[in-house]
Amino acid sequence: MELTLNLDKIQSDNVSKYAKTILDKQNPYKNFKIENYKYAQLHRDIKSETLLRDIDISELLRISKNISSLTSNPVDLASDLNLWKYKNDDSFFRVSSLLKRDTSSINLDLIDDKNLFLDISQINENIHFFKSSKNVINLIIMNSKSNDEYPKSIFFDISNNSNLNVIHFNISNYKSFLYFESNLQDNSHLNFVSFQSDNIHTRNEFYASLNLECNFDLFGLNINNYGVNDNYSFIQHLKPSSSSREIFKSIVEKGAITNFQGKIYVDSIAQKTDGYQMSRSLLLDDISKANNKPELEIYADDVKCSHGSTVSKLDEDQIYYFKSRGIDSEMAKKILKKAFIAEIIESIKDDNLREYSNNIIESLLT
Amino acid sequence: MLEIKNLHVSIEEKKIIKGLNLLINKGEVHALMGPNGSGKSTLSYVLSGKDKYEIDDGTIEYNEKNLLELDVDERANEGLFLAFQYPMEIPGVQTSFFLKTAINSKRKYLGHSEMDALEFAKLMKSKAEELNINTEMLKRDLNVNYSGGEKKKQEILQMSMLSPKMAILDETDSGLDIDALRIVSEGVNKLRSKENSFLVITHYQRLLNYIKPDFVHIIADGRIVKSGDYSLALELEEKGYEEISKSA
Repeated sequence: MELTLNLDKIQSDNVSKYAKTILDKQNPYKNFKIENYKYAQLHRDIKSETLLRDIDISELLRISKNISSLTSNPVDLASDLNLWKYKNDDSFFRVSSLLKRDTSSINLDLIDDKNLFLDISQINENIHFFKSSKNVINLIIMNSKSNDEYPKSIFFDISNNSNLNVIHFNISNYKSFLYFESNLQDNSHLNFVSFQSDNIHTRNEFYASLNLECNFDLFGLNINNYGVNDNYSFIQHLKPSSSSREIFKSIVEKGAITNFQGKIYVDSIAQKTDGYQMSRSLLLDDISKANNKPELEIYADDVKCSHGSTVSKLDEDQIYYFKSRGIDSEMAKKILKKAFIAEIIESIKDDNLREYSNNIIESLLT
Repeated sequence: MLEIKNLHVSIEEKKIIKGLNLLINKGEVHALMGPNGSGKSTLSYVLSGKDKYEIDDGTIEYNEKNLLELDVDERANEGLFLAFQYPMEIPGVQTSFFLKTAINSKRKYLGHSEMDALEFAKLMKSKAEELNINTEMLKRDLNVNYSGGEKKKQEILQMSMLSPKMAILDETDSGLDIDALRIVSEGVNKLRSKENSFLVITHYQRLLNYIKPDFVHIIADGRIVKSGDYSLALELEEKGYEEISKSA
């Protein structure tokens, strides 16, 4: 399959030479050797016979306010496309989604609800969110039953002293390729949790740019997947004293392939950066695969950065301990899987949303 | 209650238990003493049903059932309990949740309804108090960052909440200070009744000062070489394993 793009748009708009080069030379749909996309298998059409489950998250989360009813404003394509602020790392998804789709903006400051729900699978456009108030907002982004080979982008611009919590449910998708870009201004905070379950071919890119004294938490969970499911992150610290904390966990079984590639970049002036990255995979059988590739790129000399990666099985001795207390092995395994992923659910800040999300994940766990 | 006949067990081709016979009746407390490597812990694992152990010969009858045909969890739900020498640490699983799941698994197996949260909390609180366990500890992950003594107490708490018919204590005294030893022993003694049996495995006679056994057996090289009453434990303390085994 080859990604065809609307070439009229490329010529008519003021598209940079950079964008054209990316489309030409960095197209992972044509070339499977591009480093950042090397496990995602975008050049293949991955299918599964499985009929994906229907799961209504909005009901389970008890959120009624759907953000799609709000008016949104179109964003100028050219400015977004050419405004590439990321160092030594190119996203084909970003460039192609901006050329393929229109982009709408949503100003989160205009909304008076604390919890907002947006089903992006029902929207064809890219979305650019803005947040500058100090109010706590929990934005729930749902993506389900997508079957779209074109990447879609979601941008977050968080102004000075502002903060945002995002929960992303990526559930029961046939094909879904998403690009998330978060730009954090001085003293801002973003807590981002991505729950991924029951998917066949997905890739999520998480790009984040951190300025002075801001804080970015990124937690990912990947369970019950089929086919190939890929997560890529690039977190750059551009100014001093910011912290980022990133934890991805996956449970891989039934021949699925789960990938995580993540990079922390620390600019030479970003002293006192505190960066942490951990990816852990639980492999339940010997036909499944987990690829984890952590990277650090550090140009400052006074920073605290660490990363780690593990792949393990369920511990037979732990299962024996459960069984010795009368708990059968099926239940023991479920409890141990739950224990493995608990940290991700715990990272949700809002008490109610954490509880509801916990119920959702519990019902999804097999 | 439990009858072991001519038991032969090996692990990875190495023979560990070589023709062991043992009969434990309802209401009896038996102590099994022996030096390192004599097969004490292997026996406890075989009784609980851990795999990796090869049963080469012999039979084990438990409550008129063939124990060797039951899976580990079935044995537990039939009332067999092994207090481990080295309890597993389970990160991410709260101790109280583990206890509740264990109790409800047993109730389900026996065809009873689940215990509700309030009833469970009451039971846990009263049993924990008996064992001088701080209930705050039960909110922590199972055995994670517990001291050696806390782990052992936690095992005894599990035992007292599951009230087994046949309890095996595998070196429960190791790593306990005098106070913890007394508390743990009292917990065991509270469970003693005409209906329950115990197999207490230990190196030292000290534990038997607190938990008075009806019978004492000396195990050496995979067989019981001498049996007697409590006075055998005292004799052992005086003479040591080597001399007792020789005289047998």
